[in-house]
Amino acid sequence: MTTEEGPGGPTENAIAEFARLASDEQIEGAASALQRNGITSLVVDSGEQARDAVRTILPIGAEVFNNTSRTLEAIGIAEDIERSGLYQPLRPRLYQMDREMQAREMRQLAAAPDFVVGSAHAVTAGGSVLIASASGSQLGPLVSGAGHVILVIGGQKIVPDVATGLRRIAEYFFPLEDRRAREAYGVPSGVNNVLIINRAIAPGRVSAIVVRQSLGF
Amino acid sequence: MSDEHRESMFDYDSRPVTPQVVLVGRRASSLGYELRDFLSRNGVPYDWVEADEAERVRELLEGGDVDPSRLPICVLPDGRQLAAATVQDVANGLGMVAAPLLSEYDLTIVGAGPAGLAAAVYAASEGLRAVAIEAVAPGGQAGTTSMIENYLGFPQGISGNELATRATAQARRFGAEVLLARPLVDIVPEDAGYLARLSDGTEVRTRSVLAASGVDWRRLDVAGLDDLLGAGVYYGAGPSEAVSCRGCRVAIVGGGNSAGQAVVRFSRYASRVTLLVRGSTLSDSMSQYLVSKVSELENVDIRTGTEVVGLEADTRLRAAVLSSRDETELTRLPLESLFVCIGGVPRTRRLATAGLATDDAGYILTGADVTVSPDALNTWPLRRSPLPLETNRPGFFAAGDVRSGSIKRCSAAIGEGSMAVALVHRRLAELGAE
Repeated sequence: MTTEEGPGGPTENAIAEFARLASDEQIEGAASALQRNGITSLVVDSGEQARDAVRTILPIGAEVFNNTSRTLEAIGIAEDIERSGLYQPLRPRLYQMDREMQAREMRQLAAAPDFVVGSAHAVTAGGSVLIASASGSQLGPLVSGAGHVILVIGGQKIVPDVATGLRRIAEYFFPLEDRRAREAYGVPSGVNNVLIINRAIAPGRVSAIVVRQSLGF
Repeated sequence: MSDEHRESMFDYDSRPVTPQVVLVGRRASSLGYELRDFLSRNGVPYDWVEADEAERVRELLEGGDVDPSRLPICVLPDGRQLAAATVQDVANGLGMVAAPLLSEYDLTIVGAGPAGLAAAVYAASEGLRAVAIEAVAPGGQAGTTSMIENYLGFPQGISGNELATRATAQARRFGAEVLLARPLVDIVPEDAGYLARLSDGTEVRTRSVLAASGVDWRRLDVAGLDDLLGAGVYYGAGPSEAVSCRGCRVAIVGGGNSAGQAVVRFSRYASRVTLLVRGSTLSDSMSQYLVSKVSELENVDIRTGTEVVGLEADTRLRAAVLSSRDETELTRLPLESLFVCIGGVPRTRRLATAGLATDDAGYILTGADVTVSPDALNTWPLRRSPLPLETNRPGFFAAGDVRSGSIKRCSAAIGEGSMAVALVHRRLAELGAE
């Protein structure tokens, strides 16, 4: 789904449907469903509380990869990971590596961090999590590569079902992400890979912090 | 995105999302090179902006034209700007300069190359209070090598940079302190131990010392070379310069493993790499796996029996003049960059006040070499003989490249650094009994 010109942002209908903060009841319901699906879930009121929750979960000195995420940037979690000195952030380490000589080391480092912290693009009422990625490189660690996964999810991302979640990605998330990618990197984005987590098998491996606040795309 | 980083999906998935260091300067300047080298070797990501990219510079600095005397300018992640920035300014600005946490240590390690880091890991893991003092960046010379392929346990090889990063994290995890960008000024005996003084006046008291300060590159004696440092001429393998050499002509001077590693790295970026070797064959001084690798690279010329006798430059290096044993006339080699990776000079200047005995080349004598040197033995105060790796000063050890007779290989240095810790234990037990 890559276009030359870019889609020019989501339609008014898409904004009306997918930018709206879910009700408390919907958020609590989705969080309970996540818990039933093996994803440790926590509902908080604000981005600041979500930031505190992430700090509580991440051990000092942990090797952490922060996925590209407007949510993490908006509430300061990306800053905490990359700049606080409390953790071993992988992004700065990867960025300064020699792409010709250290490609193998880079691939291995990025594929299996101790912790990956990211967001999601939709969470269904039944507790499924949907995440899209242009390159797909962030999905492997989420599925199994990372030791632990922490997802911080804005309350506007709750959808009734997987089909609506996929539509949210296509009609709302993608136009916004594509615009961001063109501005930030000069290249278009694309819904090239979509991960759907219906159930997490390993107990305690995946945590979701759902925020009663609109965050990110 | 930085011009120095190739566009790819992987790149923008892995670049930091928070602001990072931006350097504004002229690439052909020694000060700019020092900053790039320092940040690169310390694993600090940065973007380089050429000072004549007027629009970018104005946007970045929110001002008019840049006064050349203010270059290089470092813009820190928090927005602060450091004009005419030095390595020390940038290290301070980034909070890289930490004070020692303790008033006394069991072991102070001078230099955080392979030997020093190994000693830090083993000392701290065995409960010793250990601190390593490093003037530039962890890893030493090995930290700048592109890929060490014969280090045990890494069948696909490991880059020197990655080895140093892992070792530093490992040392810190065990509780060793690694003090960066705060060079040693001198070190003197005090009571039964030693007192080390650092560049900012900090004093470190210690019961034992390990000199693991390694070697500096040997200077190439060619007229005008010093004026071109950072402007096309570099000492060492120049990991920070590889990307900017894409499509350029590069020459490496040297016949050892460091030179071989540099050739492998630059062959990935440069259009043509010429290896200039003074000796008649590579195999005298380079590991066979590297000789084979270098010989197979299509864009690499190897010129043995060849020396650099002159340089041509305008604002930066343009060509090298070569003298070859097989040719009567001098030849001109057009190039953009010259990397000098020859031999080594023991880095002992800051240790001089400790009164360590050295061999004729300046490498530190240890163990039996102290015993057989009458001058060194005369300064040895104890009834027992010096321990292996112990210098002519009790409790002052040496390991790695700086030690006389050491094998100049990364794995050998790591072995010596590890071994030194066992000997430190013996010395500390001796002190405890006094």
